[in-house]
Amino acid sequence: MLGKLIKHEFRATGRVMLPMYLVLLATAVGSNLSGRWMLGSSRSALSVLGTLIVVAFGFAIFGVLLMSFVLMIQRFYKNLLQDEGYLMFTLPVSVHQHIWAKVIVSAVWFIATVLVIIGACLLVAYEGGFWRQFFDFLGQLLGGLQKLKISEALNGTVVLAELAVLMFLCLVAFSLQFYAALAAGHSQPNHKMLWSVGCFFGFQAVLQFGGSMLLIGLNKLELSRFLDWDPTPIAAIHVGLLMSIGVVVVYGAIFYAVTTFFLKRHLNLE
Amino acid sequence: MSVLECKELCKRYGRTAALEGLSFTVEPGRIVGLLGPNGSGKTTLIKLANGLLTPDAGYISVCDMAPGRESRSLVSYLPERTAIPLWMSAGQLLDFYGDFYTDFRREAAEEMLGHLNIHPRQVIKQMSKGTREKVQLIMVMSRAAKLYLLDEPIGGVDPATRDYILSTIIGSYNPEAAVVISTHLIADVEKVLDEVIFINQGRIMLQSSVDGIREEKGMSVDALFREVFKC
Repeated sequence: MLGKLIKHEFRATGRVMLPMYLVLLATAVGSNLSGRWMLGSSRSALSVLGTLIVVAFGFAIFGVLLMSFVLMIQRFYKNLLQDEGYLMFTLPVSVHQHIWAKVIVSAVWFIATVLVIIGACLLVAYEGGFWRQFFDFLGQLLGGLQKLKISEALNGTVVLAELAVLMFLCLVAFSLQFYAALAAGHSQPNHKMLWSVGCFFGFQAVLQFGGSMLLIGLNKLELSRFLDWDPTPIAAIHVGLLMSIGVVVVYGAIFYAVTTFFLKRHLNLE
Repeated sequence: MSVLECKELCKRYGRTAALEGLSFTVEPGRIVGLLGPNGSGKTTLIKLANGLLTPDAGYISVCDMAPGRESRSLVSYLPERTAIPLWMSAGQLLDFYGDFYTDFRREAAEEMLGHLNIHPRQVIKQMSKGTREKVQLIMVMSRAAKLYLLDEPIGGVDPATRDYILSTIIGSYNPEAAVVISTHLIADVEKVLDEVIFINQGRIMLQSSVDGIREEKGMSVDALFREVFKC
């Protein structure tokens, strides 16, 4: 059922995101063309038009970033906590599946947005011989990698994988933070959105306070006295990344538990 | 086996009691009217049966199961509000119901949509309020469910649409299932009901067959309702 929820979630969000991507790519092509023929033109009308297209490209980048963020919140709010909630929460699926469908689809759109923006920037920079230069650069990079030792190549790959996992988990935890506030706020009988905003800042304050207390506590324990370890730089990077992943998992798990609790036990659709 | 059973069911909203010690059963094959004035607890009861609310005390079961993921595959629920996503087309809505409910009869739904001249590509947002409600009802009644829970299906629609809705309910429900219709428009639904439950301020005032009311009291359900709930 999770797969079906994800399928329909992509259907609902794709109708907004895909046209936004098309607009972004169209303005990227326009910016490329304006850079070649319009911006340096002696005709002021062409020059102004070229500037407007480049400005539109900037707005399009801002627009897709904003939309992927707004959509993440809006879909959870509208699809689960408004009238559509009567349909969604009477489907034979669990609350966990609802949350995961929203989280996974939001994370995928965040990643897709970043990739499309990179693609759009490459389109703007494209000129004759661009691909030759690009593949030359790739060749040099691969040539450089071949000179690495196996341990170095392995470490590099693992660090990249750890970074990718960390990025994905950050996106998931980021979404869950908003979902928890919305779910808690909408369990109230009145002023649900106001409560949601209050819950968001309340959760932030509690987590920051708790985190600070934990750090102070760990500092007082003086754990370093018991650790006789002088790590190599690469080992320190691995430990740092793994610890960050652990912290983000705990952070996300707390918000996941809060969201699940309120949607399961205190759902209060209008 | 009862399709719907409540025992000493209680639900409070803050200090206000919505349901107080409700006990009754609904057997398969019956069309039951859940009748009561506004704010009597009808919607709360239906939400509890769907697992949209959790009881504070007592017990509610659907086909011997506590409301949850499994029971939802047996219940077809028509909410008071238009809950179908407005951005979807009629065809996408058919896909949606077909994906999640194994008992969804797509051909029956397509036929009913065809009678209303609704094309699968027509977007729900572009339909009138009355048509949206009909589409939602068609989806709900196109399932071969064990229990149909219809919350105010004829509230806020014109008399012709009321007739359409009632004929759709009668013409398409699974005869082995039970249908619970919550409403305060008694005169319109009386003709389709087998049984009635009068509910007021969260308590059951009466549970009886429609024939029993006519024979014993010598009056229609509508007349009895007006007498029981006289202000």
